[in-house]
Amino acid sequence: MENLSETKISKLKRGFLLLAGSLFVCLLPLWTGQYYMQVFTIAFYYVVLASSWNLIAGYTGQFSLAHHAFAAIGGYTSALLVTRSGFPIWMGMFAALLSSTLMGFILGVLCLRMRAIYLAIATWAFAESVRIFISMTYKLTRGDLGLAVPKVFLGTGRAVACYYLFLGLATVTVLLLIIINRSKMGYYLRAIRDDEMVARVMGIHTTRWKIFSFIISSGIAGIAGAFYGHYNGLLTPVMVDFSEMALIVIMVVIGGIRTAAGPIIGAIFIEILTETFRGFGEIRMVVFALAVIAIARLYNEGAVGTVRQFSRWIARRKQPRGDVT
Amino acid sequence: MEKQVNSLLQIENLAKDFGKLRAVDNLSLGLDEGEIRGLIGPNGSGKTTLINLISGVYKPTSGGVYFLGRRIDRLAPERITQEGIMRTFQVARLFGDMTVLENMLIPAFTQGMSRRQSSQRAKELLDFSLLSRMSNEPARNLSGGQGMLLQIVRGFMRHPLRLYLLDEPFAGVHPVIKDVMIETIQKMNREEGVTFLIVSHELTTIRRLCSRISVLHAGQLISEGTMKEVANDPRVIDSYLGG
Repeated sequence: MENLSETKISKLKRGFLLLAGSLFVCLLPLWTGQYYMQVFTIAFYYVVLASSWNLIAGYTGQFSLAHHAFAAIGGYTSALLVTRSGFPIWMGMFAALLSSTLMGFILGVLCLRMRAIYLAIATWAFAESVRIFISMTYKLTRGDLGLAVPKVFLGTGRAVACYYLFLGLATVTVLLLIIINRSKMGYYLRAIRDDEMVARVMGIHTTRWKIFSFIISSGIAGIAGAFYGHYNGLLTPVMVDFSEMALIVIMVVIGGIRTAAGPIIGAIFIEILTETFRGFGEIRMVVFALAVIAIARLYNEGAVGTVRQFSRWIARRKQPRGDVT
Repeated sequence: MEKQVNSLLQIENLAKDFGKLRAVDNLSLGLDEGEIRGLIGPNGSGKTTLINLISGVYKPTSGGVYFLGRRIDRLAPERITQEGIMRTFQVARLFGDMTVLENMLIPAFTQGMSRRQSSQRAKELLDFSLLSRMSNEPARNLSGGQGMLLQIVRGFMRHPLRLYLLDEPFAGVHPVIKDVMIETIQKMNREEGVTFLIVSHELTTIRRLCSRISVLHAGQLISEGTMKEVANDPRVIDSYLGG
C-alpha cells in the first residue's frame, strides 16, 4: 500500500514537472526576445536529432555516426527540389523524408550486421562521403558557398512561428519515440541491445528490427534537416561536419542515454551553453568532450540518471531506520 | 525438406568442425515427444555444441536435424524458435537492463500474443517459480540461481513449447532454487507436454528427472538408456575415468 502511494506521488511529481516544463516552453515567447527564441528553435532541432539518434544508439545499441548526414540528405533534398524544380515546401519536406528513409534503408542493409566499432567506422565513412559529395558537386549544391533555401514563414512574426513549428516537431518526435519504446518494438530493440543472440533465440528477427529502427531514425533526421534548411535559409556542408555528430552524441550522453528525457535536457542545455560561450570559439567542444568523459566515467546515466539516483537516495534517507532491512 | 520420422527430434549423422577440431562427430540421436532426456558426458564432449546446432546458433558441417520430420538445421535461430523450440545458455543470459517481467514478455510477443495474455501467463509462471516478488526488478539484480531460474521460466512463455533445450541449468544453483526448477520442468512436461533435452553434469538430478540418458564422448554418442544401463556401460565408465 505504501509502495503504491509512493508510486502515485512519484507519478504526480513527474506529471507536475512535465506540466511545468511544457508551460514554460509554450509561454516562453511571451517574455523573451527574438534571440532566445532562435536559440530555443535550434535547440528543438537538436532535440529531434538527439532523440532519434537515441533510438538507434541508446535503445538498439547501434552506434551510428551518420545521423547528421541524414539530416543533410533531407535538408538538401528538400532545398534542391524547391529551388530547382519549383516544388512547394511541404512536398520538398515529404521528399526529404523519403530520401533520408531510403538512404537509411540502404545503409542499414549494408552495415547493420556489423558490430560496435565496425558499424561506427562504416557510418562515419558514409557521412564523410556525403560531406565530400556536397562540397564537390558545386553546380548542384553550390558546395562550400552554401545553397540558399526558401524560408518558411516570412514577416515580423517569423521567429515566434518558427519557434512553435520546431517545438511541434520536437514534441511529435519525442511522443512517437515514447510510443515506439513502450510498444512491442521497443521491447525488441532493448532486447537486441542487451544480447542480440538471445534476442534471436527468443524469436526476434534482429536484422529486420535493427534496419526498421534505423529507417525510422534516419527519416526523422531527414525531416529535421529539411525543417532546418527552410528555417535557416542556407545549407552548407558544415551540416555534415563531424563536430555536428559529436554534438548530438554529447547531448545524448550528458542528458542521459536510453531515456526519453535525456536527449531533450541534453540538447537544450548544450545549445544554450553553445550560444552562451560562442565567444570562446571551438574550445567549447573541448570542454563538452571533457564533460562527456567525466560523465561516462562517473555518472554514465547522464543528468536524468543522476537525478533519479539522487531522488532514490533522498527517499532512502527519509525512510525510518527500522524499515531498512 | 520433409522426412517420414516417428521422433519429435531426429538428428542424423551430424558433424561440426571448428577448424581441425571435430566437436560433433557423425552423431545420430532421436527424441520422442513428451520425454525428458538427459545428455551427459565429460567436458569437451560436444554437449553444448549439439545444443547450439539444434537451436541454429551453429550450422552443421554435415548431417541434418529434423524436427517433426522437417529439416531445421539450415534455419536461423529465430525461425527455429517459431517451430516451438527454445533453449537456455550455460551462463544465464538475460536482458539485464529490462525487468524480470519484461524479460518474460519478449518470447510471448514474438509469437503474436497480446499484452494482456502475455502478462497473465507471465504472472502465473512467475508465481509458480517464486519470482513474482522480483517482477519489477531489473534482471541484472537477480542472483546467479534466480537468473538461471528466470532463464528457464522465460522459455515457457512460448506457447505451445514443443522442445526445450536446457544447457547446464543446475550448475552452481542453490538447492532450494534447484528444487523449484525441477518442479517447474516436471509440471510443464506433465501439463503442457513439453519435451526436454537437459545437458547436465549433475547425475543425481538427471537421475531424478530423466527416464532416458544419452552419453556423449569426443562428439560421438557412446551410450543410451536408463541411468542404470548407462552407468554400467564400460564405454561410459572409460570416458569418465579417461580410460
